[in-house]
Amino acid sequence: MRSNSQQKPYFPERAQVACSQCGLGKLCLPRTLDPEATEQFEYIVNKSRSIQPGEHIFRAGDELNCIAAVRAGCFKSYLIDKDGEEQVLGFYLPGEIIGFDAIHGKTHNANVVALDTSSICGIRFDSLTEMARQLPELQEELFRVMSFHIAELEASAADLSAEERVARLLCSLSVRFQRRGYSQTEFNLSMSRRDIASNLRLATETTSRVLARFQSAGIIKVNRKKVSILEFEKLRKLARRDP
Amino acid sequence: MSISKSFPTELVTKYGLAGPRYTSYPTALQFHEGFDAEAYRRHAQRSNDDLIPLPLSLYVHLPFCESLCYYCACNKKVTRNSALTESYLQSLDREIEMQGGLFDRDRQVCQLHFGGGTPTYYGDKQLKHIMEKLSEYFFLSHSSTREYSIEIDPRTVSEDRIVYLADIGLNRVSMGIQDFDPAVQKAVNRIQDEGKTLGLIHAARKAGFNSVSVDLIYGLPLQTAKSFETTIDSVLTARPDRISVYNYAHLPHLFPAQRMISTDDVPTPEVRLELLASTISKLVDVGYVYIGMDHFALPDDDLSVAMRNGTLQRNFQGYSTYHDTDLVGLGVSAIGKVGNSCVQNQKDIRDWQGLINDDKLPVWRGIGFSGEDRLRREIISAIMCQGQLKFSEIEQEFGIDFGDHFALELDSLRPLQDDGLVEISEDDIEVTPVGLLLLRAIAMKFDEYLIENDSAKAYSKVI
Repeated sequence: MRSNSQQKPYFPERAQVACSQCGLGKLCLPRTLDPEATEQFEYIVNKSRSIQPGEHIFRAGDELNCIAAVRAGCFKSYLIDKDGEEQVLGFYLPGEIIGFDAIHGKTHNANVVALDTSSICGIRFDSLTEMARQLPELQEELFRVMSFHIAELEASAADLSAEERVARLLCSLSVRFQRRGYSQTEFNLSMSRRDIASNLRLATETTSRVLARFQSAGIIKVNRKKVSILEFEKLRKLARRDP
Repeated sequence: MSISKSFPTELVTKYGLAGPRYTSYPTALQFHEGFDAEAYRRHAQRSNDDLIPLPLSLYVHLPFCESLCYYCACNKKVTRNSALTESYLQSLDREIEMQGGLFDRDRQVCQLHFGGGTPTYYGDKQLKHIMEKLSEYFFLSHSSTREYSIEIDPRTVSEDRIVYLADIGLNRVSMGIQDFDPAVQKAVNRIQDEGKTLGLIHAARKAGFNSVSVDLIYGLPLQTAKSFETTIDSVLTARPDRISVYNYAHLPHLFPAQRMISTDDVPTPEVRLELLASTISKLVDVGYVYIGMDHFALPDDDLSVAMRNGTLQRNFQGYSTYHDTDLVGLGVSAIGKVGNSCVQNQKDIRDWQGLINDDKLPVWRGIGFSGEDRLRREIISAIMCQGQLKFSEIEQEFGIDFGDHFALELDSLRPLQDDGLVEISEDDIEVTPVGLLLLRAIAMKFDEYLIENDSAKAYSKVI
């Protein structure tokens, strides 16, 4: 985790986490652990203060100390390319883990910034490795989450039309929101259309045009940053992918 | 929703109290200087972030006039000093550059309006220059559905000029007529030839303008029901697509120009009511649709169609057919609406120019809407534009219980219901044909900022 003298520390004091009490218990890393192992896990986790929109939790090049589990809000990860343009790599919702990319080189590859008022749990990586050695179910969960990330990235690397890309993102968000206990068909996005376009490797205006086309076809309804999915099956067909 | 057949004189007298025109809610009285250029920049940026950003409307304020019309309450400057009017254009260029930079270039400008002052004070070349500048910094539309309009003072425009205005991309005109009666024209210092004005309407049609609108004013000095009827009969021979009949509010303590009008010459309240009643019944008789407030339109005009479809909107220029847009105000005192905020430019030309010369956005004041403001905006817009307020739609969008949230407001509407202005049911509030004449009085019941007898003083009479 980044330390910056001008910045308030992310972890003000040793704030004990109670994973067993957490609403994200069914989604987060310790979800398969028994109560005793969960209690052990809580020792390697620190709860952050509230993180404001625009605040970074990782910068590209930061040494790997912690990976982060999103408790609340939304984050985006991005790189700055050689032309100084921002390239958005992904979005993270509550219960999702940020920082797996840092394992092989021991430094974070991407910048990670809050899009909303957010908070995280910092998980000390050396302790996590140590613990995974002792708890096979934790190790298995780590492999599963990492593998899921890789599968998602490979799927999005396919040669896709603009419609397919936009439809896939909406389907993916819909499923992720639903798993978090939110509505599957109506959600408020924290990211700007520019972020979404960059993430989908589309021009900003193309992204909006595709959304407008979906809207006139009666598949979705868009109001500012709120999306209502009216025809989920049609959207899924457009995405050409099972969610 | 159609207008009442017989004119409800008593009710109009009872509810014709002072009130805002609700071209925006919150109204300009709520704007404050705490909302500065930085706040405006933030709201503009956020409006670009929307998944499908709203198209843009541009309003360009050209404040100069060659002579003073005594009734005028607009922000204008009477001058023949070309150094001043030229330097205004240079500052406007610079403002267009700065404001153009705030908005993503894929946001199409579906509406454009030149207002004043007298926009046609400027010559053809100058107006063309402004259009070119706008086109350089904004994404102007060439679609036939665009609404690009200009206010025309017929005294400054020839039939050739009308053709030129069409050539530079404008497709709607609104002409100031006010009144054809020579005695009235003299009393308000606006002498304007009837034949020439009507000729311009025909010329505009020939030049391909989609819509020709005319402005009339009732309540001007020396007007009588009979003299005004003569004016209207004459206007109707040209059958303009839209007719606006504004009410002259005699407020000499607020508008110095109006001190040139003798208060004795201003029609009595009884005469004003007669003027209004006969005007409405005449226009409706010959087939115009009453849109609301001061506006009438032919049945096949876009405004009438939008009214039938329930898609009518209201903005700073009055009623409009376009779905929601972000409005960018350019020029001195211009008002904009961007995202969840309203903003107004400096109202004094020197202050406006001073900021622009320092490369600063010439913002004077504005307001960011609270959640409650947004809720009430929606309600007031439904009353003013649709004449109907469905509780379920509001409840769904804002997550409130209408009856709980607006218990006091609903109570305060009961007398209006007893008088037949509205019908309140379990599911909705509907404006009656009589209520359509008194929209402001109904909307005022939902205006959180309106403390009776207090802020109401600054407004003109509803009728």
